[in-house]
Amino acid sequence: MLPRRLFEHGAKIPPEQKRLPGYRGAINEALAEEMARDDSIIVMGQDVGKAPPFGVTIGLLDKFGPERVLDTPISEIVMVGAAVGAAIGGMRPVVEMQFGDFLSCAIDQVVHQAAMLRYLTGGQVKVPVVIRLPCGAGQGTGSHHAQSMYSWFVHSPGLRVLVPSTAADAKGLMKTALRQDNPVLFFEEKILYRTRWEVPAEYTGADFTIPFGKAETKRQGIDVTVVATLAMVHYAMEAAKHLEGEGVSVEVIDPRTLAPLDTETILDSVRKTGRLVVVDEAYLSCGIQGEIIASVTEKAFSNLKSPPVRLGNPGVPVPFAPTLEEAVIPNVDKIEKAIRKTLTA
Amino acid sequence: MDHKTKIEMLRRMLLIRHLEYKWGEAYENREIDGLPPSLGTGQEAVSVGACMALKPGDFVFTTHRGFGPQVAMGMDPDRILADVCFKATGYNKGKSYHVTSVEHGILGMGGIVGAQIPVATGMALSFKLKNLRQVAVPFFGEGACNEGAFHEAANLAAIWKLPVIFLCENNMYAISLRFEEFIPVKSVAGRAKAYGMPGVTVDGNDVLAVYKAVGKAAARARRGLGPSLIEAKTYRLAGHLCDDPGYYRPREEVAEQWSKCPILKFKAQLESEGVLGRNEIEKLESQVKEIAEKAADFARSSPHLPAEEAFTDIFA
Repeated sequence: MLPRRLFEHGAKIPPEQKRLPGYRGAINEALAEEMARDDSIIVMGQDVGKAPPFGVTIGLLDKFGPERVLDTPISEIVMVGAAVGAAIGGMRPVVEMQFGDFLSCAIDQVVHQAAMLRYLTGGQVKVPVVIRLPCGAGQGTGSHHAQSMYSWFVHSPGLRVLVPSTAADAKGLMKTALRQDNPVLFFEEKILYRTRWEVPAEYTGADFTIPFGKAETKRQGIDVTVVATLAMVHYAMEAAKHLEGEGVSVEVIDPRTLAPLDTETILDSVRKTGRLVVVDEAYLSCGIQGEIIASVTEKAFSNLKSPPVRLGNPGVPVPFAPTLEEAVIPNVDKIEKAIRKTLTA
Repeated sequence: MDHKTKIEMLRRMLLIRHLEYKWGEAYENREIDGLPPSLGTGQEAVSVGACMALKPGDFVFTTHRGFGPQVAMGMDPDRILADVCFKATGYNKGKSYHVTSVEHGILGMGGIVGAQIPVATGMALSFKLKNLRQVAVPFFGEGACNEGAFHEAANLAAIWKLPVIFLCENNMYAISLRFEEFIPVKSVAGRAKAYGMPGVTVDGNDVLAVYKAVGKAAARARRGLGPSLIEAKTYRLAGHLCDDPGYYRPREEVAEQWSKCPILKFKAQLESEGVLGRNEIEKLESQVKEIAEKAADFARSSPHLPAEEAFTDIFA
């Protein structure tokens, strides 16, 4: 498990990891590079300029000045609404919700304004807004600061929903988001901020972008397909490694974007393995896990050797107390159990 | 102000009135179904006074009662009516009541009360960041000023000195509730103090008063001095929507308000000032009625969109 120290400053980086880009730094780099390339990109949010709480926007105020890095009051409706208006006016705003959960305060501006104005006006306006949403549990931050709410927005037409799980994905997807013209919700998992990653050679290129709707197969396998997002990708990889010792071959797929969702890659995998586990922190009821399973059963029902299993938050407000939080959120152990279940069913 | 401008003001007010009637008729005659038209009868002076005080490049954000500003900003009556009759020849290709024309500086909002206020504030932010001396004008009702969206936008516009004119059309009713029932103070404009911006109440049935107030606020905004709040006091002579039986207000009250109709008032004023004679006014009005009639024919004879258009314009 990753450490529960979200707000810790100056934590030591293991020497062997020093050369590797971090997840947090990757987002920062993407923003800085794209802001240097395109003057219309602005960053807005609470404390994003002078004191970014998780450090993602650190240094941007110095580099780009207060006209492009705007500290806002605690006013989520107008943070999003003003970004929508500025986007229609030709800017490319990136809005940070200090915690993704706070987007609930501004939901009308997201699902009715940002997402629908193009449709309602018969295609006359574009709304290229990116909303950054620190999300996820495992940090003991409590029910109002630890949810993974993307299922709400995948449900809503007109939005792109991204869930990068590595530094490379975070950077590449952010750069793509800033070069396209639709509203984007960019979910970044808080527990991943400190993590560091091996990256492909192209990572440092000015045009390193990752397309929307393209899943990544993180690991090939023939017995079970595990679809996982964000931190769960890494837990799934660990579970797969453990099971390899027992002769179970697990394929792990990270969709990377939930809207659009690359169902083809998932279907191809399930047609091969015949077994499916979907693991995500989202609430299970009407959650993304069920959506993925439905897409598979509609198209590859006859390929399934056992009932698909979904793992997620069973419908409990993410608990504040660490021991209770652990009881609710999927982990390596629970993923292993779920995989075994598909094998024995 | 020259006579020509005053005559144009009257012409646009008349056009709003008669074109809107055509929309209402289309519903009453069952040519269109669905959400009944939301007419702004009695509020024409606010739209015309405000929009004619603006310049090219300025941007207006409408409410669900958005017909007035659309006409007042000079949009094509044929295409406006086509849109609200769901015909492919409309600006929105007949896809919604949110009639929009970026070229005319009109964004049709209004499905969610007050939602246009933050969006307009963002448009003003884009003007400021691009050093454009343009202003953004969200129209909203007195009901909307109780939305959190209004408060957040007003505060942000004030601290960032954004070129916004918060234009509250106080038509006395939020569907069935009368002003005094949901606002504990005498005026919406008084709320401006809380944001450190100028706030004025004007007679919204006096087109010249609205014109003057908006012109002043726009000049201030263009100088970089920030937003203003204008409350234009008027009265919704129409129902909330067509088919509104109006049980919530006495008929006598509505009848009395008809005597204060902004169009009647302005006609009398132009006549007494010698700008137009009675015959000339009648001629102007019959010309406007012809335009409205022609627009109704245009909308009626225009095609609906093919079903596959339901699936377009979701993403850019």
